[in-house]
Amino acid sequence: MRRKPALVAHALAGLLAAVALPAALAGGAADPGITPTTILLGGTSPLTGPAAAYASVARGAKAYFDSVNAAGGVAKRRIEYRIVDDAYNPAQTIQATRQLVEQEGVFAVFNSLGTEHNLAVREYLNQRRVPQLFVASGATAWGAEARRYPWTIGFQPSYRAEGIVYGRFVARTMRRARVGVLFQNDEYGKDLLAGLKTGLAGSSSKVVAALPYEVTAVDVGSQVARLEAANLDVFAIFATPRFAIQAYVFANRLRWRPLVINNTVSAASNVMALASEGGRNRTLEGSLTLNFLKDPTNPLFRKDPAMRRYRTIMARHARGANVADVYHVYGMAVAYETVRLFQRLGTNPTRARLMSAARSITSPANPFLLPGVSVRTGRNDGFPIQQVQLQRWRKGKWVPFGGLWESKRR
Amino acid sequence: MSPRVTRIVGFAVFAAFVAFVAVLPSFISDFKAQQYAYVGIFLIALLGLNILTGYTGQISLGHGAFMAIGGYTSAILMAGNEQFGGPISGGMKDVWTIPLAGIVAGLVGLAFGPPALRLSGLYLALATFAIAVAMPSAIKRFEEFTGGGSGINLFGTPELTGSATPVEILGRTLTYNDWLYYLCWTIALVAFAAAWLILRGRTGRAFRAVRDSETAAVSSGVSLARYKTLAFGISAAFAGVAGSLYAIASTFVNPDTFPVALSIFLLVGVVVGGLGGLSGLLFGAIFIHFLPLWSQGQDLGSLLPDSVIQGTTIEIPLIGDYVFKGTNVPGGPAIVYGIVLILLMFLIPNGVSGIFHRVGQLVARRRYSRSS
Repeated sequence: MRRKPALVAHALAGLLAAVALPAALAGGAADPGITPTTILLGGTSPLTGPAAAYASVARGAKAYFDSVNAAGGVAKRRIEYRIVDDAYNPAQTIQATRQLVEQEGVFAVFNSLGTEHNLAVREYLNQRRVPQLFVASGATAWGAEARRYPWTIGFQPSYRAEGIVYGRFVARTMRRARVGVLFQNDEYGKDLLAGLKTGLAGSSSKVVAALPYEVTAVDVGSQVARLEAANLDVFAIFATPRFAIQAYVFANRLRWRPLVINNTVSAASNVMALASEGGRNRTLEGSLTLNFLKDPTNPLFRKDPAMRRYRTIMARHARGANVADVYHVYGMAVAYETVRLFQRLGTNPTRARLMSAARSITSPANPFLLPGVSVRTGRNDGFPIQQVQLQRWRKGKWVPFGGLWESKRR
Repeated sequence: MSPRVTRIVGFAVFAAFVAFVAVLPSFISDFKAQQYAYVGIFLIALLGLNILTGYTGQISLGHGAFMAIGGYTSAILMAGNEQFGGPISGGMKDVWTIPLAGIVAGLVGLAFGPPALRLSGLYLALATFAIAVAMPSAIKRFEEFTGGGSGINLFGTPELTGSATPVEILGRTLTYNDWLYYLCWTIALVAFAAAWLILRGRTGRAFRAVRDSETAAVSSGVSLARYKTLAFGISAAFAGVAGSLYAIASTFVNPDTFPVALSIFLLVGVVVGGLGGLSGLLFGAIFIHFLPLWSQGQDLGSLLPDSVIQGTTIEIPLIGDYVFKGTNVPGGPAIVYGIVLILLMFLIPNGVSGIFHRVGQLVARRRYSRSS
């Protein structure tokens, strides 16, 4: 008795599947990525998940393209930028990237975010000869392995280069400094630490303690306490915003006032505002970081034409988004550079010409970058941005000092 | 219909489905074939989870972890871990790693059986959830064995069939995506048949007895320890095979490839497909693979009034023509996904298998009333 319905049920399931599947199969026609009126770019971004804060990078770029399109586009073509969510999961990055390349037929993969995520698709994109343009990650690999992966190019200064600049600054300005480091236990944190050690090499200062934490950790209190006890002159925080804020708060509670070096990842003004505990955190004062973008909250740029333009674009094409979020500026800087590439390519862009243009950039001034920071690449130079500006936290804002620092390749 | 006739009908439908699966790639784009390969992978995992949860009544929120074990077994056997300082040199062809991945995950599942005996219901769910939560950290901890956070990339390696050159099999040349499709679906159909065979006989009866009443099962001579452990082992082996295929299809593994959310999605898939039914799981697999993709493309603005969107905890910029288009709404896909899931649970609380069962019962009742 009981078996009968079950078997009929199986039969029904099969039939239903046979009917339902083809209906869901409306296939996407192959798109060359370039039509007389459009250029199709695509990229992955963590719109959801643990790193959703970084989604502003893609949104800023999208807003900039929309503003360019509203003004007539590039060589009469609109730039369509398709953003696909990967939830910061590399397996989804792979699927989404294949979807962009094989189904949507993008001209280039652009501004996809995350180190592991981009490493996971690098082989695939290079084998298919699809440009992996301006990877949104600070790994050294994008520039350092340009020969092996000619279709891949990064954008921002590498974490290693960032560490080197901090190391050289300490080496130049302090004698016999004892440096302690709190770092995230992954490629990003280790790259920064390695860079710092390289920058310090040959000087009288050195790293005497380096304590890791896991991304999954609850807090970094014990690491900070151990570093405080190590009698340090310099405390380097190579941590993502949540942990960097904790590090500042714990250090202040211990009344520890070393020179703090805070990495760019956590140096956005809104993060610093949280760490300041409403102005009571005195460890914060005098912190050091570096920067290459114009900070939308910095009063220095209130009347800057590019920042005015930034606010106009945000108001028109990303209304409601947080204008103070510096990741939007990053997105606009990278989109600006991409528009310039397509202007150079003129009426007949090809993937190969796009890459050769991306390897011969001499952009004197990207308006969204700090004054004097140039975007340059060469045949053997896969690091577009290599100049950075050091800045100090003074009374609630970052104040740039000294000239630009050039981070040596590798 | 006599039992024999219904059985023949059942086999005929299964055969028709096999034929359908076999010819499908001719009608869909190369890319879609790859998408459906993932449906096959999820089907395998759901079959395994349903043996445990639907038939034996043991809730597992940790099957993503068993998939991770399978995926890493395959990846390490293929690429080796000598480059990280581990002992395994790798070099095994991808298809041979699949059964090994199933065995390794199955053994871990068996090992999990005895402790699971002492836990029941929600407590077991929490314990299995703990494995899913701990798995990414454990993978990072044993970096010399697993490659740590950067993971293992398989694309373009000679061990991975088809990513470097087209696949030639049985005198035909397949594209990489078609190859993935046939690989995953061949195994999925075998897994389906295997699950059916396991569940139809003595073992299946024992599983159901454990689910319906442990006391009654024990008093009828069913060994709880034996069958719970067995269910965990079989279920984990299915998940391991699925994880292995997932690694092969994704050409990459790292700790974030098997997040906690994957375990939850699998349970969602089983519930949507229907606990205690096999054929509905196909729809569960389609659901968990396609709904997140589909919800990304939905025009949220036309579905919801502005006030509802703004009332969510996620900050959503409501901007003329720009924000309403799917992916530009932060959190939008998640909202669509959630709404569809809630609706489904209201409309078909017993999952798709439940619908089939109801319809089957109606047909059977009409037949009997007519013949009497």
